[in-house]
Amino acid sequence: MASTVITVNRDTRPGVYPILYGMWLTLRNMFETLFVKGRSATIEYPEKKRNISGRYRGVHLLTAREDGTPKCVACYMCATVCPAECIYIEAGERPEKKIEKYPTRFEIDLLRCVFCGFCVDACPEEAILMSRENDLVGTSREELIMDRDQLMNRGKLAEVGRGYHPTDHDVRRPVRIAALDRLKSEHGIVPGMPNRS
Amino acid sequence: MPKCTIDGKEIEVAPGTSVIQAAEQAGVRVPRFCYHDDLPVDGNCRMCMVEIEKFPKLQIACGTPVSEGMVIKTQVTSEKAKNAQKDTLEFLLVNHPIDCPVCDQAGECYLQDQYMDHGLHDSRIVLEDKIQKRKVVDIGPILLDAERCVVCSRCLRYEREVTKTNLLEFVNRGGSTQISTYNGGSITHEYAGNLVDVCPVGALLSKDFRFKMRVWFLKETDSICPGCSTGCNMTIDHRDGEAYRFRPRRNVEVNKSWMCDPGRDLYKTIGSGRVTTAHRTGGAVAAQSELIDEMVAKLQAAGAHSAFLASPRASNEDAFAFKKLALVVGGRLDFRVGNPQDKVKVRKDEILQREDRHPNTQGLIDLGLGVTGVEALLGDCKAGKVQVLVLQDGAMLQDPAVAEAAKNVAYVAAMATHQGSHLSAAHAVLPAAMWVETDGTFTNFDQRVQRFKRAFEAPGDAKPRWEIALDLLARLGKPMNAATAGDVFVEMAVETKAYADLTHRGLGPMGRGQGDPAKAQATA
Repeated sequence: MASTVITVNRDTRPGVYPILYGMWLTLRNMFETLFVKGRSATIEYPEKKRNISGRYRGVHLLTAREDGTPKCVACYMCATVCPAECIYIEAGERPEKKIEKYPTRFEIDLLRCVFCGFCVDACPEEAILMSRENDLVGTSREELIMDRDQLMNRGKLAEVGRGYHPTDHDVRRPVRIAALDRLKSEHGIVPGMPNRS
Repeated sequence: MPKCTIDGKEIEVAPGTSVIQAAEQAGVRVPRFCYHDDLPVDGNCRMCMVEIEKFPKLQIACGTPVSEGMVIKTQVTSEKAKNAQKDTLEFLLVNHPIDCPVCDQAGECYLQDQYMDHGLHDSRIVLEDKIQKRKVVDIGPILLDAERCVVCSRCLRYEREVTKTNLLEFVNRGGSTQISTYNGGSITHEYAGNLVDVCPVGALLSKDFRFKMRVWFLKETDSICPGCSTGCNMTIDHRDGEAYRFRPRRNVEVNKSWMCDPGRDLYKTIGSGRVTTAHRTGGAVAAQSELIDEMVAKLQAAGAHSAFLASPRASNEDAFAFKKLALVVGGRLDFRVGNPQDKVKVRKDEILQREDRHPNTQGLIDLGLGVTGVEALLGDCKAGKVQVLVLQDGAMLQDPAVAEAAKNVAYVAAMATHQGSHLSAAHAVLPAAMWVETDGTFTNFDQRVQRFKRAFEAPGDAKPRWEIALDLLARLGKPMNAATAGDVFVEMAVETKAYADLTHRGLGPMGRGQGDPAKAQATA
């Protein structure tokens, strides 16, 4: 195979002007950052925080019914779809025959989690959602395995707001849109639960 | 032998074969709810509609016998059949609550599978308009959810034809039809688990398995039930080294599609109270190799003054290796059955269970392990003529006769699976694997050799009994040329007339009976 030869012209004199231009750039940026308002790229974290997108995939949360019990019915869809296998569920029986099932244990190992949001997509009850919380700090591994009650009471939720949510229409990803289009064109159906209202 | 054409494929079937079975043989699965291989045909679900030439209307595949020259078009080639199936499914789903997230049947539900294959329609009934029926009704070992029922009558026919108890019946009419026990009573027979398997949807569910695990996480391994000498074929559903349930595996020659509840419950014995390390009396924990060295020394010293007691819970491979060990040492050899050996063939009930609650008594008889006679062997132990007694199953010490005999023996070694106070009578305990943790074969009452496969690892240091025996043989200087249970089986087939020309692979999933033509051909 014939190889391509690239010739580089090294016959240039460095001179003093490029160096001066570089110094000028550096100094200009320094003074602009210090004295010109609005030109700074840095924010004073943690007093100030960046505006995070509404579909940010942060720490999970479990939603509750009106009586405060988890909405989750322990169907294991999230644990099934989870690529990191970080969700552990144990199911128990509820007295209400219409609901039947609820999680007695629901743990997410946030150190294993890859924050892909598949669990949120898979959930049939909108029981697991994501918050915009992204400053996740712990002093031990155990601390970052969130159990059911911790996931239900995310203290920072009011502050950071809710993140990724499956009914946000702007988050329909191309793959899902393609799949929906194929379902519609090939089978003539639009999936979704029957209208309950 | 009538010939027919199914979706353009010509196939010859046995006389009396129904279209649904013929299609199965041709590789087409016609969707069904009420049809079951081992139950009489009822033809009420109307799901298996197929188009047959010269018939003016669509026919149900389960209730139509194949006749000469029939041209059948299933949903694969016939648009008419496909639409009929789709519409039938929509009708069946009219009052279905769609509570798949909480339903234990999800993952193995005919409604789910066939909706994905043949339905894919949107529901026209809003949830509030659906007829509400009873949910979570406790009927003994199973729970009834009438809303999920598709009224296929499989359970009714099972009760009528198999257990002959007629405990379930339809009540009400039309869309409100539901199954019920008389006055809400319980299912009392020992075959209730089959109702759960027979139910194609989530209407009848096992109380024991309820909410334990979603079925798609479970791995399946073919096995044989060790509960009695019938040797029902079954599947072990397990995950991460833990068995979650046993399910019957269809074998027309042995158990059809059925299994008894005591057999199903045996999965609970696998995970708890196991012996995981080798130990001596007094709690001194020895390295397993150290203990085996000690055993070898004792056996060599005892020679003919040793006794070997095999267990009818052991597989053929275990028993054969154990027999070899006894022959090499030159000691007394027999096997103990809790209840008399002549009960191998005696039925406990009219369905499956047999009086002999051991899986392999017949295999041990075939292998010729009854040499000394149990009474003579235990008598010698009691008389102090035996210095070393090797027990193939530690649980045999629970038998008072064995326990008393062991008192007068200087050194008792036992391969044990489960812990218990009875083990204190043994001087050396070696952890043994249970049947799910190794490959092997059992011979049932009918001399049918059936294979079970390893599902997961044995806990701790536990080893299969055949491997322990091979270890001892190797230390005694008489190693057997075998590395797997299959190798041991080959050695056994060479020496045992009853198993001549059989191999693990040759047994197949259904095993080989003595009357099998394939086996007769092989031996001829």
